[in-house]
Amino acid sequence: MLEDTIIAISTPPGFGGLGIVRISGKKALAVAGRIFEPKDRSKKPFPVRRPVFGKIRDPERDSALDEAFLTYFKAPRSYTREDVIELSSHGSPAVLEGILRLGTRAGARLAQPGEFTLRAHLSGRLDMIQAEAVNDLIRSVSLSQARISSRQLGGSLSRRIFRLRGKLISLLSRIEAGLEFPEEKLRKDGAADRRALAPIIVDIERLVVSYEAGRAISEGVTLAITGRTNVGKSTLFNALLEEDRAIVTPFPGTTRDFLREKLVIDDIVFHLVDMAGLGRPVHPVEKTGIARGQKIAREADGLLVVLDASRKDSEEDERLIRKYRAKKTIIVLNKTDLPRRIGRRRTQELAGGSPTVGVSALKGRNIDKLRGEIRAVFAPGPGNDEEVVLHARQKDRLQGILEALRRAEGLLSKRHSEEVYAEEIRGALRLIGELTGEVRVDEVLDEIFSRFCVGK
Amino acid sequence: MAHGNEFDIIVVGAGHAGCEAAAAANAMGLRTCLVTIHLETIAQMSCNPAIGGLAKGHLVREIDALGGLMGLLADETGIQFRLLNRSRGGAVQAPRAQCDKAAYRLAMKYRLERMPKLTVFQGIVAEVVVTKGVARGVKTLDGAVIEGKAVILTPGTFLNGKIHIGLQSYPAGRANEPSSVDLAEQLKRLDLKVFRLKTGTPMRLDRNTIEWDSFMPQPGDDDPVPFSYRTRGRLLNKVLCYQGYTNAATHAVIRRNLDKSPLYGGKIKGVGPRYCPSIEDKVVKFPQRARHQFFLEPEGIETAEIYINGLSSSLPYDVQREILGTIPGLDRAKILRPAYGIEYDAVSPMELLATLETRKIRRLYLAGQINGTSGYEEAAAQGLMAGINAALALRIKAPFVLRRDEAYIGVLIDDLISTGVEEPYRLFTSRAEHRLLLRIDNADRRLMKYGRELGLIPESAWEEYEAKRGRIEEATSYLKKNRLKTDSGDSVTFFEYLKKPEIGLKNVLEYGKFPVELSGEESRYIESEAKYEGYIRKQEREVAKAVRTDSMKIPKDVDFQKVSGLTREAVEKFEKRRPATLGEAKKIPGMTPAAVQNLTIFLEIQRKRGASTAHVSRETRPDDE
Repeated sequence: MLEDTIIAISTPPGFGGLGIVRISGKKALAVAGRIFEPKDRSKKPFPVRRPVFGKIRDPERDSALDEAFLTYFKAPRSYTREDVIELSSHGSPAVLEGILRLGTRAGARLAQPGEFTLRAHLSGRLDMIQAEAVNDLIRSVSLSQARISSRQLGGSLSRRIFRLRGKLISLLSRIEAGLEFPEEKLRKDGAADRRALAPIIVDIERLVVSYEAGRAISEGVTLAITGRTNVGKSTLFNALLEEDRAIVTPFPGTTRDFLREKLVIDDIVFHLVDMAGLGRPVHPVEKTGIARGQKIAREADGLLVVLDASRKDSEEDERLIRKYRAKKTIIVLNKTDLPRRIGRRRTQELAGGSPTVGVSALKGRNIDKLRGEIRAVFAPGPGNDEEVVLHARQKDRLQGILEALRRAEGLLSKRHSEEVYAEEIRGALRLIGELTGEVRVDEVLDEIFSRFCVGK
Repeated sequence: MAHGNEFDIIVVGAGHAGCEAAAAANAMGLRTCLVTIHLETIAQMSCNPAIGGLAKGHLVREIDALGGLMGLLADETGIQFRLLNRSRGGAVQAPRAQCDKAAYRLAMKYRLERMPKLTVFQGIVAEVVVTKGVARGVKTLDGAVIEGKAVILTPGTFLNGKIHIGLQSYPAGRANEPSSVDLAEQLKRLDLKVFRLKTGTPMRLDRNTIEWDSFMPQPGDDDPVPFSYRTRGRLLNKVLCYQGYTNAATHAVIRRNLDKSPLYGGKIKGVGPRYCPSIEDKVVKFPQRARHQFFLEPEGIETAEIYINGLSSSLPYDVQREILGTIPGLDRAKILRPAYGIEYDAVSPMELLATLETRKIRRLYLAGQINGTSGYEEAAAQGLMAGINAALALRIKAPFVLRRDEAYIGVLIDDLISTGVEEPYRLFTSRAEHRLLLRIDNADRRLMKYGRELGLIPESAWEEYEAKRGRIEEATSYLKKNRLKTDSGDSVTFFEYLKKPEIGLKNVLEYGKFPVELSGEESRYIESEAKYEGYIRKQEREVAKAVRTDSMKIPKDVDFQKVSGLTREAVEKFEKRRPATLGEAKKIPGMTPAAVQNLTIFLEIQRKRGASTAHVSRETRPDDE
């Protein structure tokens, strides 16, 4: 257990109906005893996990600050595994800060941001992935993120990674036993090693890929609306948002700078960007707008390329589509309320595999269909029991693990000596340790001794 | 005592640790006294008649590169030599030799007796003389007092040793040799954490009563590879080993008699090594195995004793006979010495500094099995390091500590002092994070410079090493300059070509003539360097980075109480030691990685805060220097 006792306000800043101050550490009970007086004197010592009503008191001035409920979570059955006291009072900042002041005077120390969670991690209650999940849960902006975070807090991702780790340790122990005990004539079996490695690689690949969905959930997806001038990009922008956000005129080049708005479809946040059309600029401002637009299009997670169905397609349309071929794109065929001048075959040709949706932004026709398509194409939703990696840190480690294991696979198939591909597997295990924050050295040896009867 | 003079260093115990310690102290010019229970059993190989193997052979090479004796003597008295893992890469190859036990003992005794600063003395040490927390000498059971300025304890299994055969037991350090009971008691009084370990040894059989045709002969290598860089001349294989198997009948006998095993009967409290299990352990833990392998190894040329490797046991003598009766070829073999289990005291190595000096008693060093290790090689490596560091301390010089990435010796000692032991500790190559860097083909490159600085490597050996390095460099630059066309038509340098797993230096030589002639050893070095090149560079970068982190300064005025997440114990340790760098913090015995991690996070936060609040006057801040 940790030495000092920490205190912090746990509810968001500002006025609220209720505010909670949390105290954690060895002296939590003592600190609370000095600043809280139960109405019913028989409630001291404080009962465990039962709210007690009373007053926050300043012991020096002998005056009451506020009424409050105190709940005592006895170690180790608390969030940090230490003694934890929660004081819930009225939510005014003055009251809450007053409680903090009294608490620090009574022997607690102001917690640093995230320190409660850090303690939970250090006490072994949460591994690193779970600790991150707590943070996510607190900050989650969408329902699906909250759902995933709460599942990861329960350890679902950790468990999955521990299963992978177990499999790797088992594989490595077989290789190492052969290396360390050459006289035991343990069979060298590259084919078996490969068979063991392949499903692990597939599983990690799946996790790495899930980050795409994870990032969409945790950070949102940036979508740029692009196309020639006057194809109706801003009208589409407004139609998707269901408000008149962008100025719309019949004149080409009305939008010169870009506009950015949040669009939420089924829990997923899309950052929709409207920008200048890519025509021949007539004004220097427009020129700058176009340059900016190109940068945004390059950096966006996906594109809505808008074509005017009522005009024949131009070289420019084609060039634009080809330019961003590598990006996820939906071709939006706008102005379908007008007589159509681009044929179906031509549309398909232009789209080159990207999905196409015909809409009339002006009349609001097919906009719901487009929303559905956006959700499906740019944020392929995870299945309900599918694990999703939400963090760049986690994804980077998993990517590193994946690369190491792929190298191991390559070395194996080229018949390199075992100690070389063992090196890659050892590296992958170190990265898993960094991922979950857990480091144990002797596990491979443990496994060797329990599985192989060695001993010369 | 009779010598009438005092010593600088007193080494207690003349096993593999004690001999290396005494020899190093002598070579470094310190007056040394080596006290042993029996002069006849100096450097006795108490268990198997072999030296080396994976990780152990690596250790012997390192001991040799630092100027120790074990490799030289193993070569001199070896009767069969093998390089293990020849079909694998250079990093996991290691030499192993069957030695003539009697010859090894005598060779060591001969050398020690001729060392100018060394006195060998027979006696049982009953007590370390400690004055004001400093070791000042030893007292023997005979009443002799030997004064010294540092004491190195290497008592092996003699420390409170107790032999078990079946349910019989008696105090002994080895069969029929007295154990050191008083010394063990004193260590407890000195507040050192003492715990119990166990190990065992198999029976020795009479060569003339074994039907040898029943077993598979195991010859030595055609081209024996020596341990020592200083060994000259060709090594000769003089004996064969043989391999055989136990069977269902053997296992039935063992199962039927488990109640007579002191281990399974609950008499032995000590923890035994999992990597060297007794035959009863193997049968109990792996019931699905129909048979277990064993080896018949001669204990020497002139003796008839055969060591039966793999059948260590502490079952009663009559059960041992019954076991032999189930194995065709051994059914009429005579037991010359019964197998036995032995329990002994060890001191938690977390009591030690990296120099192997105890933290509680200054100038008291511990090496070998007393630190919880098993194996001749592990003992010798510690003995050498303890001897060197005791000598350096008396000369008031900086301690000699090897890093984990520099040597298996570094891995061994660091593991011991930082994580302690729960079972007899054996070194494995997988314990090294940088296995591809720690090879037998580069032990001289890694360590000989230190051996030379310490005065343990003769100038002639150093000159030979330099010549060898020259040849390797010349050959490597030749390999990097010349190119060949592969079957796929690519042009690659010889060196690149050598990276292919199936290609050796021999294959490359079909394409061109070498400017220098290389020994097998030198070829192996070049092959390793080529095949592991990418990994070597990567590991070197990691090492450099780790060295940088380790050198991160801890401000003198840091308040460890403020570091969140530290246990009281960790805070106390930090406050007591006041480590100057993170590297030193890590090295504090018993310090957990988590505590060091918390400290690192704290320092990083402090540093960032310092940087953000004081960025205006940054250049003038005194603590930035």
